[in-house]
Amino acid sequence: MEMMNELLEKYFRGETSLSEEKELKHYFSKGNVVPEHEIYRSLFEVFELELKDTATSPLIQVIPKQRKIKQIWIKTFAYTGIAASLVLLMWVQLPQNTENYAVINGTRIDNPEYVQRYAQKKLNYVNEMLKDGLKPMKRMNVVNHTLQPLNVIKETQDKMIEIEKTHNVNN
Amino acid sequence: MESTQFNTQILNHSDKLFRFAKSILRNVDAAQDAVQELTMKLWEKRHQLDEVKNIQAFTMRSMRNLCLDTIRQNRDEDELPVEFEYSEPNPHQQTELRDLATQIRSMINNLPELQRSIIRMRDVEEMEISEIAYVTSITENAVSVNLSRARQKIRDQILNEQKRVEETIWK
Repeated sequence: MEMMNELLEKYFRGETSLSEEKELKHYFSKGNVVPEHEIYRSLFEVFELELKDTATSPLIQVIPKQRKIKQIWIKTFAYTGIAASLVLLMWVQLPQNTENYAVINGTRIDNPEYVQRYAQKKLNYVNEMLKDGLKPMKRMNVVNHTLQPLNVIKETQDKMIEIEKTHNVNN
Repeated sequence: MESTQFNTQILNHSDKLFRFAKSILRNVDAAQDAVQELTMKLWEKRHQLDEVKNIQAFTMRSMRNLCLDTIRQNRDEDELPVEFEYSEPNPHQQTELRDLATQIRSMINNLPELQRSIIRMRDVEEMEISEIAYVTSITENAVSVNLSRARQKIRDQILNEQKRVEETIWK
């Protein structure tokens, strides 16, 4: 008891170490406190009670929630960046990878000579088609040439009308 | 500071920060707001926190500064002061104060801000004198003096209360 008295006096003078204060807390938390010290029991109980006082609002959720939103933005920017890079890469790489080939009837042909021959053949075919297509035009020229005398008749008629008009005026 | 470290070193001690803010502001809601505000500020500056040696003492010091700013701001804006002035308990309060632990809490709350902060940092949070000196920006000797005064005041009030109760019984 004498030792506890000294320790209590030291405590109220603010000279106790943390371990001595823990000893005091331990002493007052037990049941065998002497009656002279009983008055201080509540003081040490208050310290223990106050330690159980906790924040009420969900503080912990504040930061992770913000982090989550931020992470979504970071991911969005990252994915957009990757996609843009890929498109750019393809665009840059495309001319370098250009190969000379043609697709004929759905088949890739890498032989340029074959393609050239095939193209020539098709162009000749088109030429023949055009020739056949222009044949009716030749016939029309023949018709026009045959009808040429009709134009002469019309000119003669016009001249006769003119002469007749002139004659009437003189009379 | 990474988010994991932030969680372990700051968010996990939010209860301690809350108790400290509540001790200074003497208002639960204001204390809660202060903790939220400080946490957000620290989160924004988390990359600079790596340079801080004692993160817990630093956060406690930041908390105290924030709370003192809040009190000053409330006074400047002529709002209702966060801190309440001590007045004699009315009959209803006296009934509540029959419990000595509640009375002791009230006694601590009515100490000057520096003394109640120091006594709680030491007796509730079990902080070293050097840490308390850092948080309160005063010397270790000044912390010991204030701690001694705070404990002595509480002791005197407990003894007076005991005396008053005994007198009431023998009347």
